[in-house]
Order: sequence, then C-alpha cells, then structure tokens
Amino acid sequence: MDRARVVLVTVIVALGVSSSLRAHHSFAAEFDANQPVTLKGTVVKMDWVNPHTWIHLDVKNPDGTVTRWMIEGGTPNTLVRRGFTKKSLEAGTEITIQGYRAKNGANRANGADMILPDGKRLFLGSSGTGAPKEAPEDQK
Amino acid sequence: MRSRVLGFVAVTFALGLAGIVGTAQTNGAQTQTPAAGPTTAARGAGPATAAKGKVPRTPWGDPDLQGVWDYRTITPLERNRELGTREFYTEAEKKALEDRAGRRMDAPPEEIRPGLNHSQWWTDPGRFVSDGYRTSLIVDPPDGRVPALTADGRARQGRGGNRNNAVNASWLDRGDQERCITYGLPSASLPTLYNNNIRIVQAPGTAVIVHEMIHEARVVPLDGRPRLNDNVRAWIGDTRGRWEGDTLVVETTNFNGKHSYRGSTTGLHLTERYTRIDEGRLELRLTVSDPTTWEKPWTVLLPMRPTEGQLLLEYACHEDNRSMFNLLEVARDAEKTGKAPSRSEPADDRQER
Repeated sequence: MDRARVVLVTVIVALGVSSSLRAHHSFAAEFDANQPVTLKGTVVKMDWVNPHTWIHLDVKNPDGTVTRWMIEGGTPNTLVRRGFTKKSLEAGTEITIQGYRAKNGANRANGADMILPDGKRLFLGSSGTGAPKEAPEDQK
Repeated sequence: MRSRVLGFVAVTFALGLAGIVGTAQTNGAQTQTPAAGPTTAARGAGPATAAKGKVPRTPWGDPDLQGVWDYRTITPLERNRELGTREFYTEAEKKALEDRAGRRMDAPPEEIRPGLNHSQWWTDPGRFVSDGYRTSLIVDPPDGRVPALTADGRARQGRGGNRNNAVNASWLDRGDQERCITYGLPSASLPTLYNNNIRIVQAPGTAVIVHEMIHEARVVPLDGRPRLNDNVRAWIGDTRGRWEGDTLVVETTNFNGKHSYRGSTTGLHLTERYTRIDEGRLELRLTVSDPTTWEKPWTVLLPMRPTEGQLLLEYACHEDNRSMFNLLEVARDAEKTGKAPSRSEPADDRQER
C-alpha cells in the first residue's frame, strides 16, 4: 500500500473514532450493550421531554400478562429535525422496538430503532433515516 | 458481525481506490487548493474572512447575525498527525469521507446485537467535510492540533471528568454535562455527537448566544462596560463583546475552573469572532488560550449555515433528566447483589462541585 493510501485509510479510521465527539450522558452507566432486546407492543404514550424522549410501551407476555416498558429515544430537537413529531407515534400504535436493556434488569431500554406497522424502520433519534435530506447546494 | 467485516473490507477497498486517485492529485500539489474548493484567501488562518455578499443589517445598523446556525461537520477538531501541515483533503479523500458518513447516516440499522450502543443511531454529526475540504477545525497552529501542554497542564490530566463505567455512589461522581450543569466552554461551541446548533439574538447594545448543547444562553454586553472583578467567577465565565468592523468579537474570562476543558483552569480565555459572510454563511473563529495549560493559544475556524427550518426547541437539560435517577438506581441495585463495591472511591477524593 503506498503512502497516500495509508494516509487516507488512517484518516478515515481516525475520523470514525474521533474522541472529541461525546454525548451528554453515559450509555454505559445505565444500559447494557450486551443485553439487546426486541419488544413488540402497543404505544401507551410518548414523553416529549428534555433531555431525551421516552416511549411507554405495553408488551404482551407469552402468558397473557402485560408489561409496561420505557424506551429512551433521541433528543426532541434531533427527532423533530428528522421529521418525527408528536403526531408521528399515536397511542395505540403497534410497533417493534429494538434496544438495549437497563443494566439492573429494569423494564427500561435504550432504543436503537423502531419498526412501524407498515414495516418502515426508523432510528430513534439519528439523522439521515427515513427521509434523508439533500445537502444545501453550497455544501456539496 | 459478518456484514460488518464485509462492510469494512468494502470500505477499505473503496478507500484504496480513492487513495490511488488521491495520489495522482496530490503529487506535487500537496498544499494546493483542490480545483473545486474555495479560494485560498477564504480559507486561511488569518483575520476573519471578508464578507462576500451583502451582509444583512439590523434596524439599528449592526451586522445582523441573528438566526439558528448549524455547524455540523465530520471534520475532526484536530488533524490526523499523518497529514502533517496539509490543510485540505483532496477531492478523492473528501468524497470517500463524505460517502462513508452518508452511508452511516442513511443505511437502515443493522439487526440488533450485543456490543452496539446508542451512539451509533442517536447521533447527528453531519455528513460533510468542513469548509469543503478542511482536514481539521483547528487552523492555528499549522499542524491543526491543540498545542502541547505545559508541565502544569500535564499534571492536571486525568483528574475529574466523567467516569462512565464506574460505580456511582452519588450524582457528584458524574460529569457536569451529565448533571445538566453545563456542557462547558469551549465544548459547547465545538461540534459533537448531536445538537450542533446555536441561536444568536441581538438588541441594541446586547447580543445573546444560545448553545443548543446543553442549554447555555450567554448574554454579551456590547456597551463597553468593564469586565467583572477577578473575584467574580462563573461556570461559563463572564462575557463582553464589541464590533470590529462587521465582526462581532466576544471575549470570555472569569471562569470558575470547576469545569475543565482538557485540563484548562481559571486562566481560560476565549475570543470568538463571528462574521456574517453572506445570507447563508456565518463564520466563527474561536481562539482558546490558557497559559497555565497550553504552551500557546490555538484557533478554530467553524463555518455555519442556517439551520433548516430555523428550529431550536428549548433544550432544558435538567427538566426531566431521568438518566441520572436511572443510572444511580443501576448502581444501587448492583451493590445489593454484590456485583459492585458500594463506592467507587473515598468520598473525600471526589470533586465537590
């Protein structure tokens, strides 16, 4: 591999792990990356609160009982910029959410993505999903 | 996992091809401006770029900087050392980086599996290289990196901060941003995982800079009043502003030192220069100085564009900060089951804030 290619690959890798980027609260202190969960249930409500949104989901268990889960979502600002508004997820909607469970086994999870009744997948809070927007002309 | 490995191989292969193109473009022209890039004069590290278009003005005649401004970018704060003093990517490098960022943003999520965490899907860092081709946000010093630490600065490294994986005896163990106190300066002015917007509001003799992350509204007096006495200190310092031509110059001092940026102290001094280049571009040149921490000052160039929809909901971080309750509950439950010690460290060693 010539030097230019080494430089380019190094640059790409470096960008991917840039340590200057950080969220404002810890995932690791609250959720377990080794406990992925898939939850199919009915939306009870969605809290549009700062600093992060929360979806309340009633999940039916195999024995017929129902467990209420709370799913953490992205920041209200980020969701709205993505076109995801208060009207996007009405109570009673059947959805599937994938995420990571709370470390202490509580019925809480950090939401990674959501599958709507029509099969459409939405990320819970990131950009560029669902309806990716084109960049302004002068940014291309 | 397999798809990730294949993806990495594919990306590496694509980058390899891009690298070949890059070689052809960079031979003998390592520091030249790519043909499609902005002019050298518009990209240098010197004084603020002159306005190119008609700069809007307030009814009282000041340049109008008002609005919500988006500074997302995939350009890192510091340049990769391999690039030395090279300020700009080649066209091929830029394309490879932006294509990669775009794929990351647009691709459907992978099936859930152990090992990921929210940062992969919750982020909003943008998809474009800053200023078209920049290899770092730092434009001075020439290596595009934060200068060397002083001896004192080195001694302070690693103290305090956020202990993400520690057992948390108290909210006092958590970082300032997690406690919704402040994202800190200059952090709140620099691109991060999401919430990369500011709002500027002006009135005669005053400007206000609102940082989306995590909620600071910094009031900037422009009437020439003296700065506060050295004994009066604040989390985000004391700010004064003035106009130099069409550039709003904002000086911030009097930090209380409780929130440290890379070891910075009460000696932190920030100089922000906001220049409206035209309707669609605001430029921030931010100079960071702390002689007790870094051997010399350093300067960031951060171009911004109007945020789509001009939307900036109030980000009142502490309003419903359930994460703090939840993570402390996790820690207490871990203690009950004997999976973790009851304290991460002696209480008197924690930073009281």
